[in-house]
Amino acid sequence: MARSETFSGRAFGYLAMLALLVVFIGPIVWFVLLAIRPADTFFAMPPVLRFQPSWESFRYTFVEPGNNLPQLRNSLIVAAGAVLLNLPFSFPAAYALSRYRLRGRKHIMLWYLGLLMAPPVAFLIPYSILASAAGLKGTYLSMILIAQTLTVPFSVWLMRSFIDEVPVELEEAARIDGGGLWTILTKVVLPLVTPGLIVTSMFAFVFSWNNAAFPLVLANRATATLPVGTLQYFGTAGVTWGFIAAAAVAAMIPPMLIFLVLDRYVVRGLTFGSVKG
Amino acid sequence: MKTVSAFRVSRRSLMKSGAALAGAAALGGTFPNIVRAQGSGTLRVLLAGDPFYYAIEGLKDQFQQETGITLEIEAISTEALQARLTSSFISNEPDADVISVDQMWLGQYLESKWILPLNEFIKADSDTAIDDFIPEVLYSMNTWRGQVGTLPVASYGQMVLYRKDFVDEAGIKIPEDGSWTWSDYLDTVKALHGKSFGGTTMSGTVLAGQQPAPVVHMFTQLAASMGTRWFKSFPTGSAWDFTPTVDSPENREALKLFLELYKLSPAESVGYNWFDAGMRFAKGDIGMFYWWTPYAYLCRKDGYMTGKDSVVADKLGIVRLPKAPDHHQVVSLGGHSLGIAGNTGKREAAWQFVKWATSAKTQKAMALYDKYGYQFSDFARPSLYADPDLLKIYPYLPGQIGDIRAGNGKIVRPPCPVYTTLEGIYGLNLNKVLTGAMTPEACLSETSTFFETILKGNFLIPYQQASYDDTLEATKALMASLA
Amino acid sequence: MTVALSLAASPRRRRLPAALPWLLIAPSVLLLLALILFPLVFALKNSFYFWNLQMSPVPMGYIGADNYRMAFSASFFLGALRTTVLMTLVGTAVEFLLGLGIALLLLRNLRGMRLTRVLLIMPTTIAPIVVGFLFRYMYDPNGGLIPWLLQSAGIPLPAAGLLGSSSTALWAVLFADVWQWTPFFAIVLYAALLAVPEDVLEAARLDGASAFKLLTHIKLPLIRKTALIVVMLRFMQLFNTFDLVVVLTKGGPGASTRTLGYSLYQAGLVDFNIGLASAMTWLIVIVVNAIIGLFVFFAFRDLD
Repeated sequence: MARSETFSGRAFGYLAMLALLVVFIGPIVWFVLLAIRPADTFFAMPPVLRFQPSWESFRYTFVEPGNNLPQLRNSLIVAAGAVLLNLPFSFPAAYALSRYRLRGRKHIMLWYLGLLMAPPVAFLIPYSILASAAGLKGTYLSMILIAQTLTVPFSVWLMRSFIDEVPVELEEAARIDGGGLWTILTKVVLPLVTPGLIVTSMFAFVFSWNNAAFPLVLANRATATLPVGTLQYFGTAGVTWGFIAAAAVAAMIPPMLIFLVLDRYVVRGLTFGSVKG
Repeated sequence: MKTVSAFRVSRRSLMKSGAALAGAAALGGTFPNIVRAQGSGTLRVLLAGDPFYYAIEGLKDQFQQETGITLEIEAISTEALQARLTSSFISNEPDADVISVDQMWLGQYLESKWILPLNEFIKADSDTAIDDFIPEVLYSMNTWRGQVGTLPVASYGQMVLYRKDFVDEAGIKIPEDGSWTWSDYLDTVKALHGKSFGGTTMSGTVLAGQQPAPVVHMFTQLAASMGTRWFKSFPTGSAWDFTPTVDSPENREALKLFLELYKLSPAESVGYNWFDAGMRFAKGDIGMFYWWTPYAYLCRKDGYMTGKDSVVADKLGIVRLPKAPDHHQVVSLGGHSLGIAGNTGKREAAWQFVKWATSAKTQKAMALYDKYGYQFSDFARPSLYADPDLLKIYPYLPGQIGDIRAGNGKIVRPPCPVYTTLEGIYGLNLNKVLTGAMTPEACLSETSTFFETILKGNFLIPYQQASYDDTLEATKALMASLA
Repeated sequence: MTVALSLAASPRRRRLPAALPWLLIAPSVLLLLALILFPLVFALKNSFYFWNLQMSPVPMGYIGADNYRMAFSASFFLGALRTTVLMTLVGTAVEFLLGLGIALLLLRNLRGMRLTRVLLIMPTTIAPIVVGFLFRYMYDPNGGLIPWLLQSAGIPLPAAGLLGSSSTALWAVLFADVWQWTPFFAIVLYAALLAVPEDVLEAARLDGASAFKLLTHIKLPLIRKTALIVVMLRFMQLFNTFDLVVVLTKGGPGASTRTLGYSLYQAGLVDFNIGLASAMTWLIVIVVNAIIGLFVFFAFRDLD
């Protein structure tokens, strides 16, 4: 990539980079500031940038009375559960779709994604009835199960492109040694697609973490998740902007941290099996 | 040899994974138990996050000390509340013992047995002091076909708020006692509009123009006050008749006046919801507006529950609504009421809470709770309107009870079975009038046609089920029989 | 390169039972079928029943196609469909083109570019409902950051505000979506472009191909499959947008931001007309299916 560039070309590059950061990261910073600024500067224009930071909004939402603290825990449980349940469903399917020239493979692959086309709002009341009939209303398990409709299709696609790259020869060798399918899957393929597992799990975590619609009707007070929790500050009599921002910023942190820490897997994971066809 | 070791490895890992799966399943199995265990010792209360919630949350220790019942209060936005309650009731698994019931849904909740009628609880418990409720409030919000379904925890009427120092400087006198007409109101707004005050160009008024609920809440007050009714015969009358009557001369006149008012408002108020309108007034560049009574204290604050005074905090004039010269005054009544979930296992504890939260003592304590400044004056009990301690903090109370006593929520926004659908259409068309996409005439005739289509489609025209002559007198008689 | 190996491998050498792959696929398919089919069947059945929760907790009777008729008359289905298609087409196109431009920028070897790329994905990781709150805050006509910036730059704003004017509201809602999802396109396309073999590009450069030619004749054809898939994904998500509309405009002013997703939300979770909402669900599923079907037919004909 070491092409020589003109000065103006580089200058343009840096300017564009700066613009990107301002446009895409600026609003997030602005929201974080909302969570710690005094109420009389929420809507002050020109913007007030020098103020004494106040932790009152975080204190109210997470300490006293701290309504959002259990929701943070609930979000973690649901998202972690969704990640764990996602793997046994999506990994074998991805393996089969990678390794076998099945009839209609293309259509099966597209079918997974096509499931996302139905409007999610339409599902809320039926899911509420379904969860209740299964005796799961208000449980973490109901939310974890329903989250699979979002995570499994995406995961099958991501995992497949990783498995595509594991040389079949390695499996052959294991088979000659007498290993069964289980051995091959867990001892040969799985270790080699660890990056794939990580990236799939990242997305499963974030999809389930960010979903507010399903928990709205499936959760109860004890199991409500954080994105639903932000809604309580958006009343008919008023919006407590500071509390919304504090709860929302807390809801942003885990997915962001995950993407920051595991960044190198993101780029690797999102090719959807591109160039290889 | 290699074969054997590989096989062993796979056996071991199989067992490991098996154990992990079993563990996950067991974990999954225990989740519901954890949840239910948490719920069993406590009373679960589900509320909308309006000001009364902050006061109750702040006072809940008192209840816990008095009764030994632990409270778990959850507040969510009104829309989320409705979705949550409905989904939990149709799946027959309500996740709260005490719930906040919208007046539009009261009939449905009672008839589906989603909530328990309170008549017997009230009769058996003289300290409910049912006779110390404003009959108009109970009639509008809490009774359906001769049953008390809920009790009011926050009751709202509508009043006029104006910026006193600005109106005084403009040399305008506004009557305190409601002896003015809507055309006087419009003239006053016109006179105030565009004036410069303290370096700011003032707007005459501000509207809540967002569809569907805010604009309907605001317009229907004006419309009802000017004589508009939604239906030919509902809720009074021995034979209900849902033929729409919104395309009437009174309503056309009201809508034209409403459009005039919009022209004297900030243009962006077309998208304002309840608090957007209120908070705009609190910013100080609005002359006068009419709105739900909680704004009498909310507008004193710079933001919701921030505790900081707004620029108009000590400059508020609060007076009774104007009337139409040839019609009885009708004020919109709304608010929040508490009901007991139909299949709760804790009826007695739930009733204790409903009684406590709606009692004169607690309501006064809520009004005196000042963590965010004094932010509650939504009483349904006449005794509190005469309380000297409260009058000191909320001096507008005499006017407020005057307007509430002229209230009739069942006329302004009738609790008919498909109300929310009708409100959606009405709101959309009213909003279109404000944006200029529709004339007032077209709006009302189209709305009327849609109403008719919907009501016919929902088998309400012609009405074939049992009617109930639902009058204020009937509610008064009911209250007397329960006292 | 592992790519070559994987292509060389012939799956026909398997000696495992033919049913095995289907057994591996079955759990995921069954789970998804159970979870997706139930609501769809629920909706199909109830779309032929009169069932308004404000009147009865259970369906009140079979009414044939009345709900579908109602959807076309009272629920402004066609108007909402037009708004939705417009928003979806423009949104997907803008997000793709901007994303592609950013991806090309990310490929440049500049100091700080890696950090920029790492940070860039952040909007996509935020919950859509939080994005709704964020933009509601920033669009506020009195003291919001965006109107202030635009005004300071001398750009005239509609008097009713960006969300209050029929001419700007839809685009303001769409902008929030573009803000959240352009980075996703950028990263996905960047990842795909990164996998384009350098020797292919070098060879073309030696033949004197311009940067534009490289892009249109080599890079884009090579990343075509990835691009088509993300376009399809985003198209379906955008088509069903409702959360942003609920938080930002409630479908107004007038009907200018009333998308199909929002109309459905209103019919189902505000009016609680389950029959009508069910009919609308199926109309939406049919429309999306038709569009995606065409898309798949033309775009994925050569997919293996």
